[in-house]
Amino acid sequence: MTTAPVRREGAQHPSPPGYDVELSKFNPLPRVLCHDTFDSPTHGWTELLGNYDGTGDLDTVDDHMWDFRPPQLSSCSFFDVGTHGTLSGAYALKLATRPHKGHTAVAIRRLTMAGRGLVQIETHFAFKPEANVGPPRQSGRAVSWDGNNHPSEAEFGCFTVATDICSDGGIRYHNVARYQNTNMDNEMTRQWMYPVVPEPTPRDHFEGKFSLPYASDFTAPNPEDWRTFGEPTELCVNEVPTKINWHYLRWLIDTDARKNVELQVNDQVMDMRDVPVPVYPDRYRTLDNLLNFYFSVRTHADVRNFLFLDSVLISVDW
Amino acid sequence: MRSTTTAVLERKAKVRESFTTEPYELPWAGEARFFVHALEVGGDGTELRFTTQISPDGLHWCDLDGVEHRVDSVGVTSWLVTGFGQWLRLSCRVVGQEPAATVRIYLVGKS
Repeated sequence: MTTAPVRREGAQHPSPPGYDVELSKFNPLPRVLCHDTFDSPTHGWTELLGNYDGTGDLDTVDDHMWDFRPPQLSSCSFFDVGTHGTLSGAYALKLATRPHKGHTAVAIRRLTMAGRGLVQIETHFAFKPEANVGPPRQSGRAVSWDGNNHPSEAEFGCFTVATDICSDGGIRYHNVARYQNTNMDNEMTRQWMYPVVPEPTPRDHFEGKFSLPYASDFTAPNPEDWRTFGEPTELCVNEVPTKINWHYLRWLIDTDARKNVELQVNDQVMDMRDVPVPVYPDRYRTLDNLLNFYFSVRTHADVRNFLFLDSVLISVDW
Repeated sequence: MRSTTTAVLERKAKVRESFTTEPYELPWAGEARFFVHALEVGGDGTELRFTTQISPDGLHWCDLDGVEHRVDSVGVTSWLVTGFGQWLRLSCRVVGQEPAATVRIYLVGKS
């Protein structure tokens, strides 16, 4: 792990012609594929839904993949302060779970690849559990309120950024990076994680390889299949569940080598080149050049968890 | 160009008792419309009575108006919603002997 260099000289010079304030919030590769700000609608970030049969019978969707909830545009308003607003404007893309332990909300962006090489996704994000207005909840027991720490810290489960990529004769894989804030017992862990198995797919289910219940961890359902990388990280949750502090995230992968490269979150840069990217043992059709990104948020308590995205930028070097 | 978005609030809800949908934020929308698609309606005299609810904070709710939208057979029912705040949801009161229904619920927002 290294710390990102801080450049100071730029502030002393006037902005050159064509300077783009919105793009200046990012550090893109040469070609920008998507720059999504959410003062206009959802820019292709849509709910993930599992596959279904040729009659449109949604009862054929896997039990753990039919309820990932629709993303929504939020002004980040709360019971105590009203409208908070975002980094870049009025609205953020908000992913919201149900108040059901294990439930996951997922927004996915679907692209294809016109080349191979470096691919980077950047975002300014915030995460929060839903505020509690009432008696103490058991799920917040791991953190006592002392005017600085707050029980809500223990009520946020995890968020994940991941890919779904398929190329070169049906070779399919997922790069995955997860921030696990708590374990399933609502104890603070604050660690970065990755799975060592590929995500179970609807075809796996169709072929009888697994059957997962509602609210399973769809990225990798067995906790034993997750490993940590980097150092445990304390992010800026800022004391109560209704303060939104925007974090910068930059994640770089290599679709030529089918590898992770690095993950930056604020001033922390984690080398991910040794973080493996599991490939499915069999090949997939109809997915040529697939390049999907998703963000997900999973609650580990019967409390709604939210992931707010102020803006997202995807760029490539091809 | 106006903006619009469609959210599937319930995809295949198996309704046996009264419920509310998950909160959904539409702070940017000047108007909205609910669609309730009843896929199956069984039981003896099953009737679903939907009420539009609004909230200032996503936590505390009240009815938007006094209108109940009744669903007692398969098909699509829809109504316009205006004059709301940031959050919308539906409250569904279920009546009938051993009521059973499957519904899909859409919320469409338009600027």
